Amino acid sequence: MKKLDNNTLFIGIGNNTRQDDGLGWCFLDELEKKGFNTNNLIYKYQLMVEDADLISNYETVFFIDASKNNLEQGFSISELTPSKEVNFSTHAVPPNQILHLCETVYDKNPKSYTLEIQGYNWNIEIGLSKLAKLNLNKALTYVCKNIPKLS
Amino acid sequence: MEPKKITIDPVTRVEGHGKVTIKIDENGKVSDAYLHVVEFRGFEKFIQGHPYWEVPIIVQRLCGICPVSHHLAAAKAIDQLVGIDPENLSSTATKLRKLLHYGQVFQSHALHFFYLASPDLLFGINAPVEKRNIVAVATENKELAKKGILMRKFGQEIITSLSGKKIHGTLAVPGGVHKAFTPKQLEYFLDGKQIPNIDTMISWSKEVIDFMKSFHLENREWVDNFAAYPSNHLGLVDKVSGALELYDGRIRSIDSKGKELLNIEDIEYRNHFKEGVEAWSYLKFPYMTKYGREKGWNRVGPLARLNTCTHIPTPLAEIERQQFKAYTKNKPNNMTMHTHWARLIELLHCAENIKELLLDEDIMGNDLVRKGTPRNKGIGVIEAPRGTLIHEYHIDNKGLITKCNLIVSTTFNNEAINQGVRSVSQSTLNGKPKITEPMLNQIEMAIRAYDPCLSCATHALGQMPLIVQLEDNHGNLLDEKTR
Repeated sequence: MKKLDNNTLFIGIGNNTRQDDGLGWCFLDELEKKGFNTNNLIYKYQLMVEDADLISNYETVFFIDASKNNLEQGFSISELTPSKEVNFSTHAVPPNQILHLCETVYDKNPKSYTLEIQGYNWNIEIGLSKLAKLNLNKALTYVCKNIPKLS
Repeated sequence: MEPKKITIDPVTRVEGHGKVTIKIDENGKVSDAYLHVVEFRGFEKFIQGHPYWEVPIIVQRLCGICPVSHHLAAAKAIDQLVGIDPENLSSTATKLRKLLHYGQVFQSHALHFFYLASPDLLFGINAPVEKRNIVAVATENKELAKKGILMRKFGQEIITSLSGKKIHGTLAVPGGVHKAFTPKQLEYFLDGKQIPNIDTMISWSKEVIDFMKSFHLENREWVDNFAAYPSNHLGLVDKVSGALELYDGRIRSIDSKGKELLNIEDIEYRNHFKEGVEAWSYLKFPYMTKYGREKGWNRVGPLARLNTCTHIPTPLAEIERQQFKAYTKNKPNNMTMHTHWARLIELLHCAENIKELLLDEDIMGNDLVRKGTPRNKGIGVIEAPRGTLIHEYHIDNKGLITKCNLIVSTTFNNEAINQGVRSVSQSTLNGKPKITEPMLNQIEMAIRAYDPCLSCATHALGQMPLIVQLEDNHGNLLDEKTR
């Protein structure tokens, strides 16, 4: 079985009962099918403060989430920098603030990326839209090909 | 001065979003103030038509913070639909559900204290907004923040080990549970190798109580008087001893001086409660029928529970409860900010209970599910982190839900929160020409003391905006800001 370097973590964020909001989770499902180590694939409805502890144990972290934005390639990947913003509540903390909390509390700054995948439908239903599936495949191809460069 | 209405929308650092409106009259005095909740309410309706066994799984999606509470309240109700009352559940199933419940309350109380309340307590009401958050707490007190993260994590790990997921997992099934604890899981929580163990959790819980007591000593006047007002108090108590009980007990209410107002079996709640409504909020206003809407409302949650119980059945938390009660000479405590103190005593109680259950071999038993004679109505009542939670379901002959009624903790606290908002508004805003950030934060603090979960209370769907509005007394919008 093909396995990831244990220092790389993928966090899929979303809700698979809200159509394309399940993109983050579907991305992890596809990685699992490709033989990635399931211990490094974490499914989340939302990020919480204790995720600062989780990511402190890794050297590279990918946060994968659905996006409502128009993305040229259907997906977008960008490196994260810690954010000192304060506009968070405890039921959804953005990745850059988790990274900042990790840096502040644990003195760790894992190399982190957000992978946004464009979605289109958000109703209460299980299953991705056709266009979202296409974007998922594009994102998957890109990430799998470039993991060595990104890590 | 032109009369105007000031709206804080939403209240930050509470779960879900609400809006506070403060009406100011021509003389610059507060004429009224209230919290109104404008989220869509739908769970009670769309659960209808679903098979009963789906309910504990579906209703927990009311909330991402206290799903376990909804899962267990629903499970207790569904047990009755398959003919099982709480006393007929197997010992293993009861203890596993309790372990899940204490794990949930532990993580929720830790989350509230460290991430919602501690910025207010550490930095004070005059601190700038950019400082009143957990990142600032972490910057100034790294060890406190780290302990908060690890305590929250410990509770979440208990939940994961029992239900498979930190959020929206499943342990309870009709008449019991679907899995027991394993020796490997037990080792994880006891040996301290991968996460700090349960003894550390107990020790840290005592530390934060000491922190709270020191804070109280240094800020006694403010803590005792901020948003304080007399009220009734409601909570579950042990059916025999009257002790603090979070999973299954009798519903007891006392008034602000300690006189008992109600002491009933939980399944009788319908005979003793009604729910009032207001045009400006989706949140209902439950009250005891016998005492009417004006006098029959209660506070629920940690403060109410410590007021209604006779004692706490775990030794270290009981010592703390006695100190807590001694401060009010054993009379009911009506000081809103003491809710934080009470919550931390419960945090310790949960840690002690978790240890007791982890050391009980029953949690690895195999008597998991029981069946009885099916019924068409079930009522489940538990003490969620924020207070008393009631789920009621009716089914038809095919086992499909025909009727559902939910009274969640924040709904019980609705009138109490509004009282707090009025109290603080009147003491801080009267005659002041300018609305300052510390003033607005005090109003939010009065609400946060109850740790309200507004998405639970309205069973919200969809996104919630971040808007601040200023209106005059004619409803004209004077200003609007989006956070």
